[in-house]
Amino acid sequence: MSTFSTHITPRQDAPPQTVLVVEDEVLIRLVIADYLRECGYRVHEAVSAEEAMAILQAPDVSVDVVFSDVEMQGEMDGFGLARWVRSNMPGIQVILTSGAERSADIAATLCEAGPLLKKPYPSQDVVDRIRQLAAKAGRS
Amino acid sequence: MSAASVTVLPRRTPPTILIVEDEALARCLVSDELRSRGFKVLEAGSAPEALTVLETVRIDLLLIAVDLSGGGSGLDIARLVQGRRAPMQVILALSEDGALADPEWESLGHLIRKPYHPPQVFDLVARCLNWPTPPDE
Repeated sequence: MSTFSTHITPRQDAPPQTVLVVEDEVLIRLVIADYLRECGYRVHEAVSAEEAMAILQAPDVSVDVVFSDVEMQGEMDGFGLARWVRSNMPGIQVILTSGAERSADIAATLCEAGPLLKKPYPSQDVVDRIRQLAAKAGRS
Repeated sequence: MSAASVTVLPRRTPPTILIVEDEALARCLVSDELRSRGFKVLEAGSAPEALTVLETVRIDLLLIAVDLSGGGSGLDIARLVQGRRAPMQVILALSEDGALADPEWESLGHLIRKPYHPPQVFDLVARCLNWPTPPDE
């Protein structure tokens, strides 16, 4: 839905990174996933932490960055998902977002990208965070 | 009386497809295949999510699993779409071990049986939407 997107900054670098967007509000998920695709990322979508884990464990799917909401339906929230990723797939970076006031310290222990991205977030801020992570990991 | 002349112009933008499937990996792989072929693909994991998207975005083709978990079924959504004025192609995905299709289902759209085979899904979607346009001979 490029009608939702404004000020898209296409990625200049290659190869494309793959981002897994985990968000249970469908329209928010569609908008950010669409924006990231317009910016050149390959994007997978998950409705819940459980779906995210199923995708991450699939042998034919590769993910570089998980961008997840904290408050989600299901047994596991975004913090739980971030802990699971850190324990089981340490090569994957995690960015968390939340509409609620949360302790930045909790997120800082889980995310290389720093504190929570507070909702509502400008889509470009997500791209900036992903780029920061890529730069840290030596992928510019 | 001369026959009316209708000129169909090729569409400039790729069709938009909504895939409604509660099995995340299957949804992911089919969506990936269709995106790699140039379609714009939106994803929903449940009937309520599908309704939200259908009320918000113009969709050219709905690919929906019949046996969705949670509230509402794929059939309910397909019936709702059929009652709308806006033209929309529908593909119903039947469960792998489910019952034979009811005759009514064929009136709702094209039928496929899971598991999905992404290249076959692409062939059916391309035929339904006549896109991408075959090259001139």
